[in-house]
Amino acid sequence: MDIKLHTIAFTLDGDNVTATPDETLWQVAKRQGSRLPHLCFTDSSGYRPDGNCRACMVEIEGERVLAASCLRKPTQGMVVHSQSDRATRARKMVMELLLTDQPEHTHNSASHFSAMAKLQGISVSRFPAIEPLRVPLTDDSHIAMSVNLDACIQCNLCVRACREVQVNDVIGMANRGRDSAIIFDQFDQMGESSCVACGECVQICPTDALMPASMAKNGGAAASQSPDKAVSTVCPFCGVGCQISLKVKDNKVQYVDGIDGPANESRLCVKGRFGYDYIHHQHRLTTPLIRLKDVPKGLNVDPANPFTHFRAASWQEAIEAAAQGLSTLKKNSGGESVAGFGSAKCTNEEAYLFQKLIRQGFGHNNVDHCTRLCHASSVTALIENIGSGAVTASFNEIEHADVAIVIGCNPTENHPVAATYFKQFVRRGGKLIVMDPRGTAMKRFATHMLQFRPGTDVALLNAIMHAIVDEGLQNQTYIDENTENWQAQKDHLNGFSPDKMASLCGIDAETLRQVARTFANGEAAMIFWGMGVSQHIHGTDNARCLISLALMCGHIGRSGTGLHPLRGQNNVQGASDAGLIPMYLPDYQTVTDNHIRAHFDEIWQEESDAIAVSAKPGLTVVEIIDAIHNDEIRGMYILGENPAMSDPDVSHARAAFAKLEHLIVQDIFLTETACFADVIFPAAAFAEKDGTVTNTNRQVQMGRKALDAPGEAKQDWMILIELANALGLNWQYSSPRAIFDEMKLGMSSLDHITWDRLSNENAVTYPCYGENQPGEAIVFGDSFPRPSGRARFTPASVIAPDELPDTEYPLIMTTGRQLEHWHTGSMTRRSKVLDAIEPEANCSLHPKTLRRLGIEPGGMIRLLSRRGEIELLARADRAVAEDMVFVPFAYVEAAANLLTNPALDPDAKIPEFKFAAVRGEAVG
Amino acid sequence: MRASPAPLKIDIIWLYLRDEYPAAFEILKREIASLESAKIVPTGYIELRRGAGAYICGEESAMIESIEGKRGLPRHRPPFVAQKGIFNQPTLVHNIETLYWVARISREGGEILTSVNKNGRTGLRSYSVSGRVTNPGVYLLPAGSTIIDVIVAAGGMAAGHQLKAYQPGGPSSGILPASLSDVPLDFDTLQPHGSFIGSAAVLVLSDKDSVRDAALNMMEFFDHENCGQCTPCRVGCEKAVKLMREDKWDITLLSELSDVMEDASICGLGQAAPNPIRLTIKHFPDEV
Repeated sequence: MDIKLHTIAFTLDGDNVTATPDETLWQVAKRQGSRLPHLCFTDSSGYRPDGNCRACMVEIEGERVLAASCLRKPTQGMVVHSQSDRATRARKMVMELLLTDQPEHTHNSASHFSAMAKLQGISVSRFPAIEPLRVPLTDDSHIAMSVNLDACIQCNLCVRACREVQVNDVIGMANRGRDSAIIFDQFDQMGESSCVACGECVQICPTDALMPASMAKNGGAAASQSPDKAVSTVCPFCGVGCQISLKVKDNKVQYVDGIDGPANESRLCVKGRFGYDYIHHQHRLTTPLIRLKDVPKGLNVDPANPFTHFRAASWQEAIEAAAQGLSTLKKNSGGESVAGFGSAKCTNEEAYLFQKLIRQGFGHNNVDHCTRLCHASSVTALIENIGSGAVTASFNEIEHADVAIVIGCNPTENHPVAATYFKQFVRRGGKLIVMDPRGTAMKRFATHMLQFRPGTDVALLNAIMHAIVDEGLQNQTYIDENTENWQAQKDHLNGFSPDKMASLCGIDAETLRQVARTFANGEAAMIFWGMGVSQHIHGTDNARCLISLALMCGHIGRSGTGLHPLRGQNNVQGASDAGLIPMYLPDYQTVTDNHIRAHFDEIWQEESDAIAVSAKPGLTVVEIIDAIHNDEIRGMYILGENPAMSDPDVSHARAAFAKLEHLIVQDIFLTETACFADVIFPAAAFAEKDGTVTNTNRQVQMGRKALDAPGEAKQDWMILIELANALGLNWQYSSPRAIFDEMKLGMSSLDHITWDRLSNENAVTYPCYGENQPGEAIVFGDSFPRPSGRARFTPASVIAPDELPDTEYPLIMTTGRQLEHWHTGSMTRRSKVLDAIEPEANCSLHPKTLRRLGIEPGGMIRLLSRRGEIELLARADRAVAEDMVFVPFAYVEAAANLLTNPALDPDAKIPEFKFAAVRGEAVG
Repeated sequence: MRASPAPLKIDIIWLYLRDEYPAAFEILKREIASLESAKIVPTGYIELRRGAGAYICGEESAMIESIEGKRGLPRHRPPFVAQKGIFNQPTLVHNIETLYWVARISREGGEILTSVNKNGRTGLRSYSVSGRVTNPGVYLLPAGSTIIDVIVAAGGMAAGHQLKAYQPGGPSSGILPASLSDVPLDFDTLQPHGSFIGSAAVLVLSDKDSVRDAALNMMEFFDHENCGQCTPCRVGCEKAVKLMREDKWDITLLSELSDVMEDASICGLGQAAPNPIRLTIKHFPDEV
C-alpha cells in the first residue's frame, strides 16, 4: 500500500507538518513543541478526547467556526492556525469564563487548571460570579476522597474515568445547562454511593474538585504541602503489579498516583491508592525482639505492646540468638530439622536469598511459600502440560480477544485493575463467560453466567469439551501440529456428555453446549482463573481441564489468546521463579537433576559452611506443619508470611508453631505468626526497599525505596545476609543489584533483563529476546518448552470434594477475599481507609438460608466445622447459593481458616480452601 | 414517509416527538399502527419516541443521542450525521414539515410550491406568529413574505400597538428592527442582517415593548435550555444573562463573549445564542 496514504500532510502555524491517521491536531502541535491548553482532555492512556471544554480551540482555514484540537484530526492539505488572534482569544475567554466561579481559596494551587490558567496569563475574570446559593457544598462523606464541586468545570473527565476507564458506572452527569452536575449514583453522597474508591476520578480531575481526603483535610490550600519527592515504584498488594508514584513529604506518603506501567496504564484500585498508610501504623516493629523466658507460646500477644512476651534486643544479639538456635538444631537434629517459609510479598532478590539460605545453610529443600496455598495446582498442571508455570499471555491481551472465560476468580475484588480491562472488553462487544459458584460482580458483564455447583469444575469443563468434540468444533489442525495425547483426551471425554453432567454441575446441557460453541468458535479466546479453580483437592485436574480446553480450540500462542492464572501476591510469580519452591531451584529447575544442582553449587561456591544442594525434593507448606507435629521439624525461619492465619485448619498450624523449639519471624508487624516466635526481626516495608518484583504478566518491575524504615527496621535482604553470615555462609552482596546479577547466572528467564534496564524502563517482560525488546507478552506461538515441543492433553476425572456436607454440617463454606482487605489483613486492617470501609469480620449467605437459621441480615452467626468455630456478622447476599457460606479470611477475630479443611491435592499439595462442610447457628 | 424510505434503502425510521404534544403522539401512534396493519411497513419499522422536554433535542445530533438512550448532547462535527448518525449509521434527519411537503408534492405535484412566487422567492412556508398581533397562530404564506405580510395575515398589529421589532425565526434568530420590514423571511435572505429564518417562529414586538427585555428573555431561555456540554455556551449564557440584567450593558465584554460563543460553541445553539445580544446592540443601542 502507498505509504503516503498513511501520512497526512498539512500546515500548522505556517509549517508543513505530517501526521499519522490517528493523530489529533493537539498531538501534532505537542510534537511540534507547542503546548495548547487543555482541560477536559488528558493525554493519559485510556482517555478518549471529548472536546467539551473548548480550551484548546484552533482555527482551520475555510471553516466557519473554530475546532477543538484535542478531537480534530488533520486532513490532507488542511491549513491550521493555533496562534491566530481568533483562536487565542477563544481559548483565553474559555479560561476566564471558568475561572470566574472557581472558589476564592483554591483547593490546590498546583492543580492542572491553575497551571493552564497561568499558561495563558489569566488570573482574574471580568464576569459576574455565580449566585452564592448555587455554589455546591463540600461532600466529605467518603473516608478517602473529598468532593468539592465548587471547583468543578463539568469537563466530565471523572465520568469517563468512572464509566469508560474503570467501568464502575458510579459517576454520572445530571441535569442540564448551567445546572449540569457531577453526581454519584442517584444523587447520593459519595460515601453512600456504590463507589469502590478506585480514585481514578481523583487522579484525573483537573481542578481538584475531587481530591484525596488526606490532602483536602489539611486546610485545602495545598501549595505549602506539595510533596518533597515522588518515587516511582510498584504497588505492594496484588499480582497485577500496578506501577505507582509515591508522593512523599517528611518521610511519609502523602498520596499515591498510578503511573503508566504496562499492566495498569495509570489505573489503581482502592488498596493501591488509599491503602498505603499501614506503613506508618504505630504497630510497626522498630527493634529486634527476643522472647522472654518462660512465657507461653500462643496467639496471646497484643501487637501494640509486644513487651509482655518479648524484650527489645540489639541487632547483633538478635542475629546471634537466631543463628545459634538454628545452628544448635542443625548440629543436634540435622539440617532437615529446620524449614523455611519465604515470602511472595518481598522482592525477587530476597526470595532468591531466602531459598539459598535454607538450601545452602541446611542442606535440604524444605522451603516453600504461599504459592502452595494459591496456585500450586495451576503451576503443576501448566508445567506438566505446556512446560512452563507462568501465564502464556498478559491479561492486557484481552484487548485483542473476542471471547474470554473467567472462572473461579473474582477480579473486581481481587485483581481490580485487571478487571477494568475485562469490563472494557465487554463494553467493546467481547463475549464474557463467567463460571463461579458465587455470583461475582463480573456477572453483570457476562454473556453467560454459569453458577455451577461448587467442586464440580471437572464435570463442567469436561462437558463443555465433550460438546466441542461432539459438534466437531475443535481446531484439529492446531491439535495435530502442536499437541500430544489427543486421542486419549478425546476418548476420555466420551463419558462426559452435557446431558450426563448437567445434574452434577447444576448447569443445563443446552447452556453447556452454547458455551462450548461460543468458546470454540471465537476468533481469539482467553481463559482467566483464580483460586476457585486451584484450591481444591482436584485443583490440578481443574487446571488440566482449562489447559485442554484452550489447546483443543487452538486458543493459545496468538494475540488475544492464552491461559492466565491470575496470580495473587504482588511477587508470587517472582518468588516462585526465584526458587521458593521445595522441588525446584530457580526457574523451575528440578532439584533431582544432577547437572542443574551442580550448576547452582558452582554459582553458590562461597568458601564457607555451605552445603551442596540436596537432590531430595522438600516438604510443602502443609507437610511442614505436619512434620512439626511429627517432631521431624523443630525450627523455622518465616519471612513475611503469616501461616498462623493463612494455613488451613489453622489451630493445627498454630499448635505446630507453639511446638517449635526455635522460630524466627521477620516481618513489619507482630503478626499472628510472630506471636509464636523466639526471635523477631523488624523488617522494612515494600516502600522502604529497593528490589525487583514480577507480576502475573511475567513483567519484572523495579521497586524503589521511597521512605526510610522506622527505628531499627532493616530491608529484608540485609537481614538475610546478616543471618546467613552468622550461620557461617560468608555472603558478600553489596546491594540488591549484586543479588540480581547472581540470579541471572542461574536463571535464563532473566536473559536480556538487566538491573540497568529495569532502572531505566521500570518493567521488562520475560522471556525477553533482546536488549532492545520489551519482552514477550504472548508465548508458545511456535512450540512448547517440553521435550517433544508439543503441549499435552491430560485427561481429568471427576473427584468429589474431600469433605461433603452432611446432616451435621450441611453448609458448604468457601473462603476468599474482599476488595478492601489483603490476604491475612496484617497490612490492610492497619490502613485507616481500608479498615474504615470494611471494619468487621463478616460472611455472606443467601437470604433464605439466613431466614431459615433465624438470623437477621447484619446479625451474628456462629459457624462450626469439624475443626473449629467462629462468630461473625452475617450478610444477606443472593449471589451466594442457598447451601453455601462465603467467608473472607482476613479477620483474626473470626479466622476463616479455623474451619477450613487441610486435605491436599495429591499432585500440587494445595489445600482445599474452597470447600469445607460447616454448620451455621444464630448467636445468643 | 412512504415516499422516502424505498429509494434511500432506509432500514428503520424513528419519529421523535416532544412530549408536550400528546395529541400528535396519539395521532401518530394510530397512523403507524394502521400502516403496519395494512402491511405498508413491517411492524417496528417506524418507531415513535417521546422527547423528555429538552429544547436541545431539536438539534439533530442531540436528538440522535436521545434516541440512542443517552443524554441529549449535540455531537461534534465532523463526522456529520449523514455520514455517521444514529448507532453510527448514515442518518437522514428531517423536520416533519419537510415530510409534509414531500407527501403533498407526491400527491399534487411540485407545482404546489413552484407556482408560488413572491418578492423573487419561490414556495410556501408556515409562519408561527405570536406577540403583538391581532390573531396569533400558524399561517401558510408565500416564502417571500416580509414581516408586514406576516402581520397582515395575523390580522394586523394588536390594537394600539405599532411594530418596533421582530424575531423572524425563534430566539436564535435574534431581533430585527421594524426598519427591516421589506426583507423576505426566507432561507438565506436574513443572513446579511445577522439573522436567519430558522423555525419561522415569528415574534412581533411593539412600541410598548422593551427590546432589551426581549433579548434578555431569549438569553434566559438559552441559559435554561442549553445542554451544558461546552464552556462557551454553558457558562457564556449564564454570564450573558447576568451582564444583560445590569442597568447598563458592558458592550465590550458582551461583544467579546458573543464572538467566542459563536466561534467556539459545539453546536448551533451556542453559536447562535449571542444573536439577540448582537442585534440589540446594533439596532437598539439606546436601550442598553
